Amino acid sequence: MQTTPLPGQVAILLADELETPPLSLGQLAWRRFRRHKMAMFGALILILLVVYSFGGAFILPESYANFAATPLRLTPPSTEHPFGTDTIGRDVLARTIYGGQISLIIGLLAVLIENIIGITIGALAGYYGGIIDSILMRMTEAMLNIPEIFLLIVMAKFFGGKIPEIFLFGREFSGSVVVIVVIIGLTSWMYLARIVRAEFLSLKENDFVLAARATGTSNAEIIFRHILPNSIAPIIVSATLGVANAILAEAYISFLGLGVQPPTATWGNMLDGANNYLESAPWLWFFPGLLILLTVLSINFLGDGLRDAIDPRSRTV
Amino acid sequence: MRMRKSLMFFLVVVALILSACGGAPTPASPGEQGAAGPAVTEQPAAAPSQPERKVATLIYTREFDNLAPLYTSMWFVWTTWQMNNHWAWEFDENNEPFPRLVTEIPSAENGGISEDGRVITMKLRDDIKWSDDTPLTADDFIFTWEMAVSPSNTVATTYPYDAIESVTALDPQTVVVTFTDPFAPWLATLWHGILPAHVLRPIYEAEGTIDNADWLRNPTVGCGPYSFAEWESGSYARFVRNENYWGTPAKIDEIFIRFVPDDASQVAALKAGDADLGTFISYADVPGLKDAGLSIMVEPNGYSEWMFFMVNEEKGHPALLDVRVRKAIAMAIDREGINRDLLLGLTKVPASFWDALPYYNDPPLENYPYDPEAAKALLDEAGWVDANGDGVREKDGVDLEIDHATTIREIRQDAQAVMQQQLATVGIKLNVSPVDDTLYFASYAENGPAARGEFDIQEWSDGPLFPDPDLYYWLCDQIPTDENPVGENWFYICDEELDSLIKLQSTQVDAAERQKTISQINQLFYDQVYIIGLWQDPDVYAVGSRLKNVKFSGVTMFFNIGEWDLEE
Amino acid sequence: MGRYILKRLLQGIPLLFFVSLILFLLMMNMGDPVATMGGRRVTRSSDYERLRRQLGLDKPIYIQYLYWLIGNDWAKTDLDGDGIAETPGTRHGILRGDFGTSLLARKPVLEVIGERLPNTLMLMVASEFVIILGSLLVGIYSALRQYSFMDNLLTAILFIAYSMPIFFIALISMYVFSVLFKRWGLPYLPTVGMFDPQAGRTTAQVLWHMVLPVLSISLISFAAYSRYIRSTMLEVMSQDYIRTAKSKGLPGREVVFIHALKNASLPIVTVIGLDLPLLLGGAVVTERIFAWPGMGRLFLDHVDRADLPVVMGILMLIAVAVVVFQIITDVVYAWLDPRIRYEK
Repeated sequence: MQTTPLPGQVAILLADELETPPLSLGQLAWRRFRRHKMAMFGALILILLVVYSFGGAFILPESYANFAATPLRLTPPSTEHPFGTDTIGRDVLARTIYGGQISLIIGLLAVLIENIIGITIGALAGYYGGIIDSILMRMTEAMLNIPEIFLLIVMAKFFGGKIPEIFLFGREFSGSVVVIVVIIGLTSWMYLARIVRAEFLSLKENDFVLAARATGTSNAEIIFRHILPNSIAPIIVSATLGVANAILAEAYISFLGLGVQPPTATWGNMLDGANNYLESAPWLWFFPGLLILLTVLSINFLGDGLRDAIDPRSRTV
Repeated sequence: MRMRKSLMFFLVVVALILSACGGAPTPASPGEQGAAGPAVTEQPAAAPSQPERKVATLIYTREFDNLAPLYTSMWFVWTTWQMNNHWAWEFDENNEPFPRLVTEIPSAENGGISEDGRVITMKLRDDIKWSDDTPLTADDFIFTWEMAVSPSNTVATTYPYDAIESVTALDPQTVVVTFTDPFAPWLATLWHGILPAHVLRPIYEAEGTIDNADWLRNPTVGCGPYSFAEWESGSYARFVRNENYWGTPAKIDEIFIRFVPDDASQVAALKAGDADLGTFISYADVPGLKDAGLSIMVEPNGYSEWMFFMVNEEKGHPALLDVRVRKAIAMAIDREGINRDLLLGLTKVPASFWDALPYYNDPPLENYPYDPEAAKALLDEAGWVDANGDGVREKDGVDLEIDHATTIREIRQDAQAVMQQQLATVGIKLNVSPVDDTLYFASYAENGPAARGEFDIQEWSDGPLFPDPDLYYWLCDQIPTDENPVGENWFYICDEELDSLIKLQSTQVDAAERQKTISQINQLFYDQVYIIGLWQDPDVYAVGSRLKNVKFSGVTMFFNIGEWDLEE
Repeated sequence: MGRYILKRLLQGIPLLFFVSLILFLLMMNMGDPVATMGGRRVTRSSDYERLRRQLGLDKPIYIQYLYWLIGNDWAKTDLDGDGIAETPGTRHGILRGDFGTSLLARKPVLEVIGERLPNTLMLMVASEFVIILGSLLVGIYSALRQYSFMDNLLTAILFIAYSMPIFFIALISMYVFSVLFKRWGLPYLPTVGMFDPQAGRTTAQVLWHMVLPVLSISLISFAAYSRYIRSTMLEVMSQDYIRTAKSKGLPGREVVFIHALKNASLPIVTVIGLDLPLLLGGAVVTERIFAWPGMGRLFLDHVDRADLPVVMGILMLIAVAVVVFQIITDVVYAWLDPRIRYEK
């Protein structure tokens, strides 16, 4: 800032100082978010975990993760196996890397499915109202009436063993990954549907919607280009927390033996495999458990911060 | 407002107290009337103040579905029939038969078996009685058979009673069983528990079925050293000493069976001393349990883990039609290594389907050795080579890619991963699928994948009808088809020689002749490599230090439970 | 209000039908209950056909659903396998209150469920109690001492608890408090079951055995609820009427507990009310680990063996309970909050 303005420049400087460009919604949110220390911390940890799982693949090849050296089974952490070895001599560190890829992918994909279904149903119900709303809401309530874990178990058995292996990004995944993604997605869309419906119900009476209708915009365009972007806030929060929920759900299902089947590793089924070795080989559960904890924790922090930053109205627990 | 919230809290507290009280004493069990002898089971709140009652705690990882002979095939229920019931003859720790309800085992020498092998005559002891003092006679045996074959009873299995033409009583202590055809496996399969005619016949005559009889779930009348006291669903079952037992009284006052489904919980409970006996212990837990002071007892039961090949032109992989490929697979897997490392050397690789019945495995077969080089040579010789360098052999445009499936159990998954790796080094790609067991074993009609021939190699734990050497899976007429959807030959193997030998042995009542036939089958399995043995699967028990005199049988598991004792 | 309740009840009926239909279809592909009736062996073929016929499993899906719904005493079944149906059935169907018979235990489903229900209720009600009490205390404390050291510490611990899979907490706590404590000579907790057979089934025993399971179940919900109460309290405390109360000189405790809390508690009531019926499912995983004979374990065991009647019975009971509790919650909410009135 100049110290002594020249006489002719006063008005221009003042005018400049007076008008600052307005901050966009995103920038405002970012500012609020930055203040939430836990959320920043969570975001950082999450980035590190992603780097660990996907970047680690460049350091340790997948064949190493699957290599079973049975005489070396259950060795405690050492220099050549920093996380120890598992029940058939595979390196735990490498398995947490590849397991992490699957767990994270399951989390993301499940949330994707959950969002697609939930948003579609919520939007249609909220926008059209009437009979469509009634039917869709009854369906939603019907699904909500059944405790999630029961649905998960029943669906896991229903789809179990039916889907063959798939190849993606140079890795071979057991078909049960697809099953898990689908069933977690199918059992958690209901909450999002209700939130989206509530948003649509309140937003569709707004002027901008009336204006759009008056100019002859199609319904689809109104839904997707006008209303939806305005209700994005609770969706983002829900999606973020949904990833945490999906990762935990995967761990549960694996504990009951219905999750992703070995030899494909996930953090959840590594935990399950450690059940009989709680005392004798604690490294089997410690590392995958720690990783799940850190992931879910940081997502929860992140979600908390996001909620404070972009959706101060939300009341979800 | 505050009142209303307090009201809610109050309601919650009341509900809690009510449900806790509702749950507490007075076992609502019907198991106390009449026959059970001493009224031991009123739950005194200050129990331990009496002269210390000897209560042995057993852990079962699965709960009974019911407690009646004929109505269930669960291992966990069969054990109870040495507690409150009996078999006509039982088997000791060497799996040799000894008479229990009969005076002697029927044989050709004592006239118990007729010349043509169709008629078995059993002489019952004259001192056997039910716990309500009713004598146990031939009538009970006849009644058991009638109930087994009655179409209105939903029994678990009618075998072998459906092969019997008639069961009659020459006198109250003599039972004559007449088979339609000579039936070799009679010793191992008949009279697994007896139904009390005097209790159930009236019900059968009144209702036309005994399916709904209370005795099926609360067998208050029994003939064993212990009497059934109560069974609380999901939680526990109690058997108390039968004061009215016809034999030597039992030494322990009460056997308490607790249902604990989770393996890790069972191990924790055993280590903490909360139980005296654990069942189906996995090998991984053995060292930890030994350190905690328990002793591990292993009892052969005829079961081993086998890989079964599907050898069929239409359904199976063309490579598996060639015996050289099957041999190569046998030699490419380091089965000794698996036993040594994954099973901690606590069991062995079975070479023969009958290795728990040495009489029928004579001279004993030897395993194909672990020899990957020889395996590669065999595969080359059979024409399967890796021309395109992708690590997997092929022939005539078909990859040597084999589908293998088994059920969900940690040891199986571990072994599969190891096998996959070892087979990959000789150029065979093994696709592994673990499948939940009710889905895996579903029938052809239910589109069960194994029954439909979707797996080239199937794997599960099985054996002959121990202690009888009988087998039946590989019969040609057991191949499942749309007309015969319940066929059991899921391997789709039709080998004429094997088929005729199997049919022959089940009719040979003479042990020496049968042994010759079975030796031929034994050799055939070896030469044709229809099956590959992975590990033996005996019963593994963890016995606490308090329990004494414990012995196990592979057939009648707790055969000497009347002699078990507890000492601190 | 009465009309409202009636309307909601009537709306619940098609809902329940819908639920039953979805579930039944899912059940159909859950495995073969007869497949595991052979014990350690595969069921013999001769028994297979007979059992399927006797248990009514050989009928097509829609017939099975029909029988489940309205029974089969108006139809004839073929008991002796000769292909001719001659015996009238004995089932009345769920609409007449007959939940069917378990394929495994051969007992009426309601009896099977009824044996386990009290055990689950015990566990769940106790857990709910601990959760409510604990989270109120912690939530209020955190709200009052916002951003203090204790608040941050509690938040951190609770977040961690909320992020761990429950079976993990359960197994670790069982190992630490039962096995290790006993080994180290410290007072220890029991591992599994509801009571110690030597001591018999007394209230004291049952309560003692309830400690670990209740703790495991409560921990996660407790973490969530206390965060929720904290944020609700914070929002309420910043309202004008609180400031008025304080400036009027009312003692702090009265302000907090009477004025703030009663307003903050409204949304909590909703959450609790909706949670309660789900308690019926029991904490499936916890019951399995602690061998607690409740509904959750019943469900697991019978799903495992594909026992359709029991599984459907449990799920339908829960669905009915949820519908009923939703109505109750809405009514209670309206009763508590004079601002809400339901029209028509």
